[in-house]
This record gives sequence, C-alpha cells and structure tokens, in this order.
Amino acid sequence: MYNRKIRGPLIEGNKSLGQITKEIASPMEMRPGLWWYIAFVLSSVATVFGFYAIYVTVYKGIGAWGVNNSVAWGWEIVNFVWWIGIGHAGTAFSIFLLILRQKWRTSINRAAEAMTVFAVMCAAIFPALHMGRVWDAFYIFPYPNTRGPLWVNFNSPLFWDFTAITAYLLISASFWYLGMLPDLGTVRDRATSKLKKAIYGLFSLGWTGSSRQWIRFESLSFILGGIAAVLVVSVHSIVSTDFAVGIEPGWHTTIFPPFFVVGAIFSGFAMVMTLMVLIRKIYKLTNYITDNHMDAIARILIFISLIMGTAYLTEIFISWYSGNEYEFFAIFRNRITGDYTLQFWGMIVCNALIPQLFWFRKIRRNWVGLLLISLIINLGMWLERYNIVVTSLSKDFLPSSWASYSPTVIDIGVFVGTIGLFATGVLLFMRYIPMMAISELKSVAHIGNKKED
Amino acid sequence: MARTYKIGIFDDEGKFVSTIKSLQEQKFLIFDVFTPYPVHEVFHLLKRKSRLPTAAYIFGLFGIIATMAFLYYTSVIDWPLVYGGKPFNSFPSFIVVTIVVTIFTVTIASLALFSARSKLFPGRDNTIFDIRATDDKFIIVVDTNIPDISAAGKAENIMEENGAIEVIDKEFENVKA
Repeated sequence: MYNRKIRGPLIEGNKSLGQITKEIASPMEMRPGLWWYIAFVLSSVATVFGFYAIYVTVYKGIGAWGVNNSVAWGWEIVNFVWWIGIGHAGTAFSIFLLILRQKWRTSINRAAEAMTVFAVMCAAIFPALHMGRVWDAFYIFPYPNTRGPLWVNFNSPLFWDFTAITAYLLISASFWYLGMLPDLGTVRDRATSKLKKAIYGLFSLGWTGSSRQWIRFESLSFILGGIAAVLVVSVHSIVSTDFAVGIEPGWHTTIFPPFFVVGAIFSGFAMVMTLMVLIRKIYKLTNYITDNHMDAIARILIFISLIMGTAYLTEIFISWYSGNEYEFFAIFRNRITGDYTLQFWGMIVCNALIPQLFWFRKIRRNWVGLLLISLIINLGMWLERYNIVVTSLSKDFLPSSWASYSPTVIDIGVFVGTIGLFATGVLLFMRYIPMMAISELKSVAHIGNKKED
Repeated sequence: MARTYKIGIFDDEGKFVSTIKSLQEQKFLIFDVFTPYPVHEVFHLLKRKSRLPTAAYIFGLFGIIATMAFLYYTSVIDWPLVYGGKPFNSFPSFIVVTIVVTIFTVTIASLALFSARSKLFPGRDNTIFDIRATDDKFIIVVDTNIPDISAAGKAENIMEENGAIEVIDKEFENVKA
C-alpha cells in the first residue's frame, strides 16, 4: 500500500513512542517565546477593534456600513463566505482524507480542525449582525413561539444556511474535541502541577486508553467522519444557494454549488498551508510535518486551482452562450471590463495563475514560496467572493437602481476583528492543546520507516 | 473492597500481543489492556465489539423521520403558508434541512451514547492503572482475585517470559476499565 521509496517515511527520524509524546507536548509545557506574546497582543488589539465596530453596528444599525439599497450585501457577506470557505479546511482534511485513508493527514488534522472551529465562529458573526436587530436573532430558531406560532420559511436558502452553519460549527467542534480526548489524557498524565492536572483531567473526561474505550472511540470517529463528510459538500453548496436561488445576473447559475465547494476547499487548504508553514518553522516540527506533507498540499492546490480556472472560464463562456444579455453584461461589462476589473483580474491571477507555480518542485519545497502563494490564494478567494457579491448587486436589470459600493471604517473594523479573533484562537490553541494528534501519530510512526522493509 | 491486580508493562507492541495470547491459552481473566493508540489485534483477541454503528443508524432513521414529521406538521398542518406558489408540502426543498438535522442528530446522540457507554464524562475519576499507558507503554491488567492462590505467580511468569519490562501488583477500589 504505502511505498516508502516513492513517498519517504511519514514521520522522519525514527521516533520512538515516548519521543513523539515528548516532542508534541513540549510546546505546551514550556513558556512560549516573545513572538507569541507580541502576536497575542496584536491579535487582541485587532479583536478589540472588531468589538468596537460590532458595538457601533449594533448601536447605530446597518447604516454604519457601506451598504445601500442596491448593494445590500457588502463586505460582511464577502467575509462570511470567505471565513466559511476557510472553515472547510478541517473537515476536508480530517474527513475526506480519513475516508480516503491518507495517513499523512495525521500530523495536520488537529490544527486544521482547530482552524475550522475558529473560522466558522468568525463566519457566524456576520449573518447575525446582518440581521440588523441582532437581539432578535433567536427568531430564526423554529420553536413553538407566541407569534402564532409562526414558523420560519423552511424553503428559504437563508434558513438552510442558518441550519447548515449551526450544525457545522457544533459537529466540527465535537469531532475536534473527540479526537483530542486521548491526547488530553496524555497531557494530564504528564502534567506536573496540580492545577494543570485538574484542568486537563476534567477535559480528558477520565480517559484511560483501555481497549473498551479505544474500540468505541475508533468506531465513533469513523461514524462522525463518515456522516460529516456530507457536510464538507453540503455546507458550501447551501451557502451558494443563497446566491444561486436569487435572480441577479451573475448569481443565477447552476454551476454555483460545486464551484463554491471547490473554492471553499481551495481556500481551506491554502489556510492550512499558511498555518503549517509557520508551525513547523516556529516549533521546529519538520520531522512530523515533512517536506513531503507540504508537497502533497501544494499538489492538491494545483489541482484545485485548475478546477477554479475551468469554473471561471465556464462562467464566462456560458454568459455568452446562454444569449442572456443581463448575464453577458454582468460578466463582460461589469467584471472583465468596467468598475470592478481590478477585483476580477486579481481573482484570476491569484486563484488560477499564480498557484500554477507549484508545478515547480523547487517552489513546493521552499517555505517562503509556499507561505506567499498560500496567502495570495486566500487574497484571491476573498476577491472572488467580492466579485460575486458586489458586482452583481451594483448593476442589475434597471440602470436607475445602479449604485456603487465602498466599505466604511466599520466594515473594515468587523473584518479586522474577526481576523484578530481567529489569530487569538489559533495562538491559544498552540499554547494549550497538543497541536498534532499524538495518539494517531504513534499509530503511524512506523509507516515507511526503514525497519519495516 | 479493594482488589489486587497484576499489571504487566510492555514497551513493544509485538511482545504485548503475544503475551495476551499466552495468558488466554492459560485461561487467565484479562481485566483489560491499556495502550497509547488503538491496537486492532487486541480488539480481536479480547473479542471487543462496538455496536455504535448500529445505534448511529437507528439515530439516523429517527432523525430523518422526526425532521420530516416536524416540517410536515409546521408547513402543512399547523400554519400553512404559500411560498412562491409551491405546495404546502414542498418535499424537495425540505430535504436540505432534513439532511443537516439528521447528521446533527446522529452526531450528538452517538457522542452521548459513547460518553455513557465508555463512562467518559467531566468529573470522572482520573486514576488509571499506570500513567505510562497514555505515553509509550502497553499494559495488561490481570484480575488475580480468584480462588487459586498460585495463579497470580503464574501470570507473572507468563508476562516475564514474554518480555514484560516490569510486572507490578496494585490495589484499587472499584476501578473501571
């Protein structure tokens, strides 16, 4: 099955089981470097700025944003879709690769799932704020209420979206936590201080590692993995129906669900790459996240980038071939040329062209190259969502309702705040939770090592 | 009442598995084994089985039926409203919500069942037979509270012959596997 000559060992350096525990747990057991404190302060400042922007939004209303009657969805929806896309990394990584039995996922899945949880939390802020009266947000829960009982519209993609995201957040958080149980047990048994032992003891739920627990643990992981695999595809498909069910030119296309799902996995993998390049560099975990791991992510990114390019071309082709003049206008006069050329061509260059540099082995093995391209992909994916949301709304069927859009400081503030929140979450994760699934690493430690041949 | 257990500690998966086999040949009662990662051969030897998949399937069926029934009740019986000229029971557009809610039901119910069956919950007693089990050692625990006094010594011999790095006796009150 696993060919060492082609792929190299999964974990380099012939680690013993004890070594794996020690090396993965060590970042949690020593004081973090100065960089950690600086990064934590910066991300906290960003988060505070975000909270200020949210305060202004709630106090003054949606008027504090740059949206208007025509362009009723602006940065907030762009950011929402962008974060949800990034939030597909964890599930795509742990679940798709779990089902495909790709063992190299073991050193990456924990961090990817952590990212998912934080990204979906960030994403969930935007639609809630966008309701305008955020204190009435609970109206969206279908419960027997005193207003009739008037139920929500179960045929509306906006309600589907709410269901999908709530479920996605809770399920990915449960999956993440479940996978963490054995490792929390390990940390508990290594802890030297009483407080640490008590806290990790509480969260490890009394894990012992007995055969009874392991078999149930494994079978539950497979059940959750198997059924959450549907979510990888369904969540972003549902998000895309928010657009595709609308009749705006540029939105009303059947390509949207697969296009969104692929885009989500694209940005998710790019964010995983950003994070992994940094983690392996800072914590010197190159034996666990080897060059081969990064190479594999880069190859997936080239492939997805080609799909993205094809999807862009398909959209352009169909807008002409369909003979729909509004569709043609939206794509050719309002995206390829017109007011939003910068965003459109930025998207094409960042998503379809620059990732093609990964064809070169030298770039796949160069951490600066990987980091830069992964950031560029994330920028490109943000521009793509901007293209979809803003251009279609700004010029629809009636020229009298055309309007332009530009964000205000508050718009930017909420976005910066979510980036801060995400970064804070990731930093706390690095400090207090084992960054890799220790028990899973132990079970694959021998794969591809010389002893086995 | 405190019970005594014979605990064999191994640092090699192969030796650990072969010890289980020889202990079973001698009809010893293996209380449980503790490993740093799941060892599939052990599940086979100790005849450990999980019925969680069956339970999850039932939860899934329940989720589908309950969600569909709820959507039908709210949209057709309780407060019928016409949305965009569609029938009250617009089944195809209910499927989306049904899928998501079913997945959610299965996840939460299976987790709850897992927690109950494995007795893993916050505040559970954290004492375990040997803390090295969560690090890098494989541990076999044999219940030696059987009438035959010589059995304990025999179990120790088998473990040592098979390459245990350490064999110890420990007393525990009401310990759970």
